[in-house]
Amino acid sequence: MAELTPEQLETLPDEMRIFTIQKAIESSGPRLGRLSLAGRKVLETPNYLGNASRGVIPHLSPDNFRRHTNVSGVYLSLEDFIEKIPRDVPPIYNQDAAPNESALKRFICLPEDNIAVLGARRYTPVVGSAHNTDTSISICASVGFRSLPVQDYITATLKLCPDIAICLADVVYDHNPSRRRMEKVSDRTFSWVTKMIEQLNRPEVQESRPTLFAPIPPVPIGRQWAYIDKLSEELKDEISGLAIYDAEAIGNLPEPLTLLPRLSMSPLTSPNQLLQQIASGYDVFIVPFINLASDAGIALTFQFPPPATTSVDTRSSPVELGLNLWDKVYEADVSAVMEGCSCHCCTSHHRAFLQHLLNAREMLAWVLLQMHNHHVMDNFFARVRKSIADGTFEEDRLAFERYYVPDLPEQTGLGPRIRGYQFKSGEGDPKANPAPFTMLDAQREGLAESATPGDVPDSELIEHGFAEKTDKAS
Amino acid sequence: MAPNPMPSALTFELIAKCSVTKARASLLTLPHGPVQLPVFMPVGTQATLKGVTPEQLEGTGCRLCLNNTYHLGLKPGQAVLDAVGGAHKFQSWPHNILTDSGGFQMVSLLELAKVTEEGVRFLSPHDGSPMLLTPEHSISLQNSIGSDIMMQLDDVIATTSPDLARMEEAMHRSVRWLDRCIAAHKYPERQSLFCIIQGGLNLELRRECCREMVARDTPGIAIGGLSGGEEKDSYCRVVDTCTGLLPEMKPRYVMGVGYPEDLVVSVALGADMFDCVWPTRTARWGNAATSSGTLNLKHGNYANDFSPIEEGCTCISCRPKSAGGLGISRAYIYHLAGKETAGAHLLSIHNVHYLLALMRSAREAIIADRYPQFVKGFFGKLYPDRTMTPSWAVTALRRVGVDLLAD
Repeated sequence: MAELTPEQLETLPDEMRIFTIQKAIESSGPRLGRLSLAGRKVLETPNYLGNASRGVIPHLSPDNFRRHTNVSGVYLSLEDFIEKIPRDVPPIYNQDAAPNESALKRFICLPEDNIAVLGARRYTPVVGSAHNTDTSISICASVGFRSLPVQDYITATLKLCPDIAICLADVVYDHNPSRRRMEKVSDRTFSWVTKMIEQLNRPEVQESRPTLFAPIPPVPIGRQWAYIDKLSEELKDEISGLAIYDAEAIGNLPEPLTLLPRLSMSPLTSPNQLLQQIASGYDVFIVPFINLASDAGIALTFQFPPPATTSVDTRSSPVELGLNLWDKVYEADVSAVMEGCSCHCCTSHHRAFLQHLLNAREMLAWVLLQMHNHHVMDNFFARVRKSIADGTFEEDRLAFERYYVPDLPEQTGLGPRIRGYQFKSGEGDPKANPAPFTMLDAQREGLAESATPGDVPDSELIEHGFAEKTDKAS
Repeated sequence: MAPNPMPSALTFELIAKCSVTKARASLLTLPHGPVQLPVFMPVGTQATLKGVTPEQLEGTGCRLCLNNTYHLGLKPGQAVLDAVGGAHKFQSWPHNILTDSGGFQMVSLLELAKVTEEGVRFLSPHDGSPMLLTPEHSISLQNSIGSDIMMQLDDVIATTSPDLARMEEAMHRSVRWLDRCIAAHKYPERQSLFCIIQGGLNLELRRECCREMVARDTPGIAIGGLSGGEEKDSYCRVVDTCTGLLPEMKPRYVMGVGYPEDLVVSVALGADMFDCVWPTRTARWGNAATSSGTLNLKHGNYANDFSPIEEGCTCISCRPKSAGGLGISRAYIYHLAGKETAGAHLLSIHNVHYLLALMRSAREAIIADRYPQFVKGFFGKLYPDRTMTPSWAVTALRRVGVDLLAD
């Protein structure tokens, strides 16, 4: 496959400029591609986007993000930036930006060449009880459930200038929509996409307009044919990619849409699922289990394709996808989290330290695990691409399924504190992941800083040489 | 009484002295490299500085940080520390570590702790059975930690205690425990043991303690028992009195002191080293240390403030992109504060950098023999209305020849 030079890319027709398919086995199989936007890192696909929360990859300050990850693009949600509209304008809307600079990137200190993809909702979103209307969707901001007018989303997109914006879709999250409701999904999504295209095509915004991805909402293609049909006919030159909410939908998309890059927005809980979606032709993913694993104290250790099995161990049981660092067996283990891994966590720290950080519920545990887990995913996708290029993907995928346990190891310790915008609690639920210290006022927090780790058995104190047991109090 | 001079794991070189105040600039060389004094030492209680990586901490210019013996003694515990080869290897920190003795946490946190001649008796936090922490235990743990500077176990009581007899007993006991610590210390050639001057707010007791402990000839000297809610005036008098009696050629460490004003005044009083959890703790509350005071960036006032945390600050968070920094705005910290841990990390880095940089510029000022001007400039920025300057600072600085209220 001859690589295209940047100059050649410039001269390609518009619809080719963003995404080129370099290899596809068949129309519905895995494919290799390049997503390239002017001035941005090229995203070789299949690949993934960092899943940002409030503009950061959780636990990674922007300096660590730059220095210790190779993430070339991030997915951001507008709801993360909404504070108290309509009473107050979200502060991010007031961020200055130079011409051709994205206010969004500037606000969150994302490097210029990183690809910022903006959607309305977090991935995966917290679902409230309010419904979408003809002109707005229901969102969950850090200040609670709100509705986001479609027009506001479009205006925000123009103001913030992400590289890629995903048009709004009328997604019904919490139940299976009725047939009538499905019709509405199709109608609304069509009208919202049309409205957005129209406004982005106005001459005054041409300069720095984001590239558009059209959503494919999670209802059967047949039920939203009115929309899909228009997308593949009238609108196909206006959109540069698809954000697909139902993994199954991919097989039923009409031919004109197959050349577009496909971003998977369907739930993704395991590497096997990810591989299945790659096999069906998805190009770009947001992988929520990276962050979930880090929060759970699990270092991902899988590789693709799996290590070659010798005749001796073919019968042995499947291998875990990750290492649960809460496990006390790592207490004094000074080996790297993953042998041979070149990430900052593995080259600078060892299992014993990670075990301690988790046990002490220190924030650095999650920082280091995020570095490592993102690194593992970088390698995973690089090897997936190689495997597709070599024509061995299906074989390798099946070997992976056989080699590894399908699910991530079970979480055995508490993760970091989590907030209302990250999960929905039911009435009367206990606090999720309570703080290690829960004193109320400043004075007592001072004590908490160096508080007694609770529940320390005497035997431990003695064993640790900290103190000895005496016969009786004197 | 003085035993053979202790082998020392440090060298101390006096670089410059202020011609007006008692401030000094010096170079402390420890097993893991040189440290320029005066210095602020951030606190990594559990072998980590609240989400900041050792690499980021190094980036702030920190070359000496604290770990708490009590916490490391419980997690990961002595056996693990021994197996791993000490706290430096454990946390991958290539620079210096100072550890406290663990006694302070015992007494301040465990309500039922009781000090006897043997050590600190306390009830197990687990089942209430009696336990005992001795000077020998503390030293043994600090030997396992392998800290570059270790502290003696001392008998700490609140400086505000009115019981003079108890205060006197504590002071004498601290001296006796120092002898036990010296005797128990296995690696004096690798780790420097500091004594801790006690005596509450009673200057006579402090003087006596200085005489006794200086005679023990430890490589460095700490002034302890302060920063426990006493009047700042009394605090300054104790520091001033002690530094007047301490040998010039040894580092002086005032324990638990951390607000910017305290550091600047204490340096003028002749102290060299400080530690406090304030910069990292306050960062988690959304507070930023700046030369014009502490800003709470969680306040709505900062939601639309797109200026850096502090203009001109050279930390990675504040430095503009054009200078290789992140160019973080107050508005972004507001956006993250209390919601994403990265917000606290960015602020912790800024706050630690702020205090380290404050001490670096104090040092430069001392070397240029313009520390009095530095002190005036510092307070002038903090209190543009001079009449708002706290009187304890005015009084303490007058005693060393600087009048904050004069032109």
